[in-house]
Amino acid sequence: MSTFSFIEATSWQCAGCRQPLKPTKVNVTYLNSVFTVELMACSQCGFILVPEHLAVGKMLEVEQLLEDK
Amino acid sequence: MAWLKAMDQQQLRAIEYRCIQEEQPFCTASCPIHVDVRAFMACLAKGNLREARRVLDRTMPFPEIVGRICDQPCYPFCKRGEIGEPLATAHLERFCVTNSPAVLKLPKLPAKGGTALIIGGGLSGMTAALDLARKGRKTTLITQASGLGGTLKTYTETVLPQKILTEAATLLEGYGVTLQMAVPLDPESIGSLRTGYDAVYIDFDEIKASKIPFPAGQLDPLTLALTQDSWFGGGGIPEGASSFSVIKQVEDGRRAALTIERFLQKVSLTAQREMEGACTTRMHTVTTGMPHLIQILPTDTVLGYTAAQAQQEAGRCIHCECMECVKQCVYLREYKEYPKTLIRKIYNNQSIVQGTRNANKMINSCSLCGQCTHICPHDFPVSNVCRTTRQEMVRVNHMPPSAHDFPLEDMRFSLSEFCALSRHQPGTEDSRFVFYPGCQLAGSAPESVKRTYRYLSDQLPGGVGIMLSCCGIPAHWAGEDALFAKTMDGFRSEIKRMGQPTVITACSSCLSVFKEFASEIEATSLWQVLDTLELPVQPDLLPRQSLTLHDPCTARHQDGLRASVRNLCRKLGLNIIEHNFNGTITDCCGYGGLMQFANPQLGAKAAVVKAQRSELDGLAYCAMCRDNLAAAGNRVAHLLDYIFPVFDAMEPLDRKNPGFSRRHENRSRLKQELLTTLWQEESVMAPPHRDIRLILTQEVQDLLGSRHILEEDVQKVIHHANCTGKYLVNPDNGRWLASYKPVRVTYWVEFEPMDQGYVVHNGYSHRMLLPEEKP
Repeated sequence: MSTFSFIEATSWQCAGCRQPLKPTKVNVTYLNSVFTVELMACSQCGFILVPEHLAVGKMLEVEQLLEDK
Repeated sequence: MAWLKAMDQQQLRAIEYRCIQEEQPFCTASCPIHVDVRAFMACLAKGNLREARRVLDRTMPFPEIVGRICDQPCYPFCKRGEIGEPLATAHLERFCVTNSPAVLKLPKLPAKGGTALIIGGGLSGMTAALDLARKGRKTTLITQASGLGGTLKTYTETVLPQKILTEAATLLEGYGVTLQMAVPLDPESIGSLRTGYDAVYIDFDEIKASKIPFPAGQLDPLTLALTQDSWFGGGGIPEGASSFSVIKQVEDGRRAALTIERFLQKVSLTAQREMEGACTTRMHTVTTGMPHLIQILPTDTVLGYTAAQAQQEAGRCIHCECMECVKQCVYLREYKEYPKTLIRKIYNNQSIVQGTRNANKMINSCSLCGQCTHICPHDFPVSNVCRTTRQEMVRVNHMPPSAHDFPLEDMRFSLSEFCALSRHQPGTEDSRFVFYPGCQLAGSAPESVKRTYRYLSDQLPGGVGIMLSCCGIPAHWAGEDALFAKTMDGFRSEIKRMGQPTVITACSSCLSVFKEFASEIEATSLWQVLDTLELPVQPDLLPRQSLTLHDPCTARHQDGLRASVRNLCRKLGLNIIEHNFNGTITDCCGYGGLMQFANPQLGAKAAVVKAQRSELDGLAYCAMCRDNLAAAGNRVAHLLDYIFPVFDAMEPLDRKNPGFSRRHENRSRLKQELLTTLWQEESVMAPPHRDIRLILTQEVQDLLGSRHILEEDVQKVIHHANCTGKYLVNPDNGRWLASYKPVRVTYWVEFEPMDQGYVVHNGYSHRMLLPEEKP
């Protein structure tokens, strides 16, 4: 499966680890579907950032598509 | 497929049949050859002569003839006749064929076996010959006359030029009909000519019955069969008719050709022929309110209409259709469906095994309010179909999880220990009555609940208990049978525990649920109870202006309830002006059927439509109607605001929609306050996140509301971030970003600490799971 990349420059930093976020490959799942995506995450603790435009945009679109499958 | 078992093709057809939108309009039904007069008028009204001509060419055997002299049997059936004179259809047909060349040449099927003889060259013989030749049958037409037409030849040259009849003969030959003119005909020659043909048709317009070689007897009206096998007849002036009818000639010729075709195919001559010829229609068209328009006739009958006159006359056509439900229903209009097409789409959606079910959102967008069913002359059950489909979607696990998640969580909250309460009246052990305000009134106007309860406790004998809960209608609407059944069971056992008091509910939805699903429990509406009591009328606190009343959709079938509301308004001295879409045909505000959750845009539209039924400020007696109409920007009060007014309260008409978060807050606080003030008890401890102080601008509140994020969800996110230390910071502006997934939805909040609280800047959510999250 191809990887969708949503990496972007971001000012957000991990508060606990005091680390900038780095592009990280992660698996996101919904209703028995798994997608490998590249998101910004803390390289130390793994905290993943889901930016607003992704949540209300592409992610919502895919969620709704899967809900009608 | 289980759903298909629930509604098979046969049931689908039976339900579909109730929708009459696709029935023939009155003109087409009454036309013996079913010319699509409605489409013809539509083209003419647009000035599109060519397309109008195409409509005639499609159905009329010889448009140049029939279009000139049609005797328009549709005329008395034209619905325009209810509001003025019927359409001058014959004049318009004549205008069309005299001003436009033929557009369609109807196709001819490949030659088949079987031969037919037409004796007599009148219009019925000509029609039978044309129809049979087009079906590929070898056809011969024999006439004693020197040309075709029979009685048609008696029309004057200006009405029907001889040239047209000559052209008709050429047309018939073009389709392969063998024409034999000037053949002497008597019983003997007819008998011998018949040899060698499989079937014969006698056109009585030319051939007298006495000329056939056997007693003609009675003609079979359905098949036009004569007494001898393979002989058929029609045309002329039938017994009992007063004059020659052009369209009757066409009808007979066409009917005979169909019979002969069946005869040659050796199939039933009679089966399924009810729709041939003029027939009745179930079409329902309401002309009330349509403008009366004067009939335009040609200044000179021979010259006929000018183009402008024809266009104007055709423009009087009202394009008969039903659409009565669609005219009122925001949902059907949004999806551009009428019930028949809607249910077909639903059926197809449910038949999909693999692939995208595109109609899911449509199925979940119906308010289930039943307005369409009430309006429909055949009670088409749209809401029933949508709701049972939702049940089936839940059952087979095809219900989109996001469709009803929010309102069902809201319902669970209302049923939870934080909001639910049932108690006998303080100081008593029994309840003859129990006041059941309903979750939405408790959420929208908790002060009204308190004042109403105090009043009922004072006025009614035998103890008045109170029950704060939710009737479960959101689960019913969502098709969640198990959850709904559990909620009803809980209600039943609680009522039993309280000693079977009579339930007095302020919510017409609750009442409709109790009456339908717990009929053994005595339940009535608050309004009917108040109608029997003396009201604390305070004229100084009533509005001076007239208000319009908005009935809620769930009161549609509760006549007594609606009557009591009007009595109460009168007793209070409220000046109510009724609008036309109230009572049994009232609209839903957008909450019904959970429309506003499955389809927020449509829900908002529904509220606007309901509000716009009147220009006056509104009065509602359903808390959801009140709040949704207010949210749509209208001035609207709740009836309780005027029955139990408060001196220093803000203007009830200007009260804002509290929004989802405030409703939650109001419900749990109502329980708390009632417990403390009436029973001197403490409510359950609020969870620690509830202590987090939020600072939100109206803009952020609205954003969160529209995204179905409660302030409590925001508190949970911040609490979680504080407890775990897991969040992001932005060194540029000092803001924090954290996420938390309490149940199924992950919420993200952007905020910053300030003054022992948090300024909330943004919030959003997703349902997709990140690696560390569990479903």
